[in-house]
Amino acid sequence: MSEPLLRLEDLTVSFDGFKAIDGLSFQVERGAIRMLIGPNGAGKSTLCDTVIGKVRPAQGRVLYKGQDITRASEHHIVRMGICRKFQTPGVLENLSVADNLAVAVREHKGWWSNLRAGLGRAEAGRVEELLGLVGLAHKRQMPAAQLAHGEKQWLEIGMVVAADPELLLLDEPTAGMTAQETARTAELILRLAGRHTVLVIDHDMDFVELLGAPVSVLHMGRLFKEGTLQELRDDPAVVEIYLGRAKEDGHARA
Amino acid sequence: MTPKRALLLALLLALALAPFYLSGYNLILVGRFLALAVVAIGISLIWGTTGILSLGQGLFFGLGAYALAMHLKLVSTPAGELPDFMVYNGVEALPWWWAPFANPAFALAAVLLLPALAAAALGWLMFRRRITGVYVSLITQALVLAFATLLIGSQGVTSGTNGITDYKTFLGLELRGPGFVNGLYWLTLAVVVGAYVGVKLLLKSHFGKLLVAIRDGENRVRFLGYDPAAYKIAAFAVGGLLAGVSGALFAVHVGTISPAMVGVIPSIEFVVWVALGGRESLGGAVLGIVAGNLIKDRVSSAYPEMWLYVMGLLFVLVVLGMPRGLAGWVKPWLERLSLPRRAAPPARVSGPERGEA
Repeated sequence: MSEPLLRLEDLTVSFDGFKAIDGLSFQVERGAIRMLIGPNGAGKSTLCDTVIGKVRPAQGRVLYKGQDITRASEHHIVRMGICRKFQTPGVLENLSVADNLAVAVREHKGWWSNLRAGLGRAEAGRVEELLGLVGLAHKRQMPAAQLAHGEKQWLEIGMVVAADPELLLLDEPTAGMTAQETARTAELILRLAGRHTVLVIDHDMDFVELLGAPVSVLHMGRLFKEGTLQELRDDPAVVEIYLGRAKEDGHARA
Repeated sequence: MTPKRALLLALLLALALAPFYLSGYNLILVGRFLALAVVAIGISLIWGTTGILSLGQGLFFGLGAYALAMHLKLVSTPAGELPDFMVYNGVEALPWWWAPFANPAFALAAVLLLPALAAAALGWLMFRRRITGVYVSLITQALVLAFATLLIGSQGVTSGTNGITDYKTFLGLELRGPGFVNGLYWLTLAVVVGAYVGVKLLLKSHFGKLLVAIRDGENRVRFLGYDPAAYKIAAFAVGGLLAGVSGALFAVHVGTISPAMVGVIPSIEFVVWVALGGRESLGGAVLGIVAGNLIKDRVSSAYPEMWLYVMGLLFVLVVLGMPRGLAGWVKPWLERLSLPRRAAPPARVSGPERGEA
């Protein structure tokens, strides 16, 4: 069996004794999309935080392409090819849309090599490509602060995609979006799937359905169940902890 | 030419020609405040752009000022003798670390490097450990207090509270000699313009955009693969360098340098003036520190006991009424002038207080 792209081994993360992640083993194979769902407090965001080095586990290991990155520094993890979109839009508000992408695209990350203005030809091309991908080419000069909420989310997706990471972690990319924006986001992610491995966290069931990817359910810091959305919907235990409530939410929203 | 550029050029021309129309006293004042504009440009870079509020720029300002003053003092002391204050304090031999300052090249190098390296070292200690916000302000404030206390306490080698005084020549020229006042004024103006243009270029580079990015979202920048600490250390070192240059110029302008000029109060005043002018604008920072000090000069000579109240009031008014300072007030109509046929550009979206302060 070939080495999975990302493997978490017996991972435990605790905050003052509370185990946000409790002996979790989980892996993501190369290619395509994986969904991670679970009720609030299940440990989804903590899982992302641990992979990108923002939170250090009390126990266990994080392996990326078979390499132990549990203690690697954040910017090294990014440079190895893992990029994460945060839950709240993390665009750089006072830079223009194009500059947001330019910062993300820059190949050189050291301060010394950034004492110049202007992008290389390849970098400039990449910025154009990304502007097209996220549909913001007409707003390139606008400060990111003035974008609509959904546009900010797309811009940030563009930023995390910029360096062409192999593994993308998208933490609730549709939070606060209208149904229409959600559908566009699903389209965008499906387009990315050809080029990157994408791990998506969300609890909007309509969105999970749009992506049609295999789903893992996280509950109390453990892997609860894996399967297709339909299998999970048919599983009374999953419905009990999560889907039941989500369905009610869904109806309430509709 | 945009109205903004035209205004800047007109201002520059007015400043360059000042020796021909300002009386001696006023020229000396403006020159002295222009020397302070250099530290203000640095504060605008590290606070306005990067979001690091240092309440201890007096430390770097003082290092530059003392480095040059030590040289000037040695040059003004007859060969074979000790500086006068050392004699009064019973010091019998020139301390080893004083000796190299007799060399002008060494002293000038120290003016540039000492504050920059001190700022880089302090930045390394703070930013590697991810110390941010108010803690940075407190640490820098404590350090400048310690620095001033150390200067006062080591009277034998620093001349204590009196500071280093009574130096008479600079690069062989007589201070206050004919022509020197004008020359020093133009030198100062040239340094201000150099600092302004240099920082402006820095801001236009990717480096500058990343500083803004770090202020807005340090984590986002980190998780794009950058190491924000390295950027902050570099910016802080540039701020320290500018403070040191400013201090050295100031020491020449005033003809003396003492702990009271580099301690806690001046450190806070620098920040107040930059806030008054508009911390996000280099021109605003320069305007703020020059105008603020002119007001201070007028008020404190007419009503000495009122000055602190006036400063406090100004600060409160700026914070409440003009968070972007004078520059934030001037900018919109400058922009309106430059876009006569189009609609005024949309106002910047104001969010919650950004940055670390």
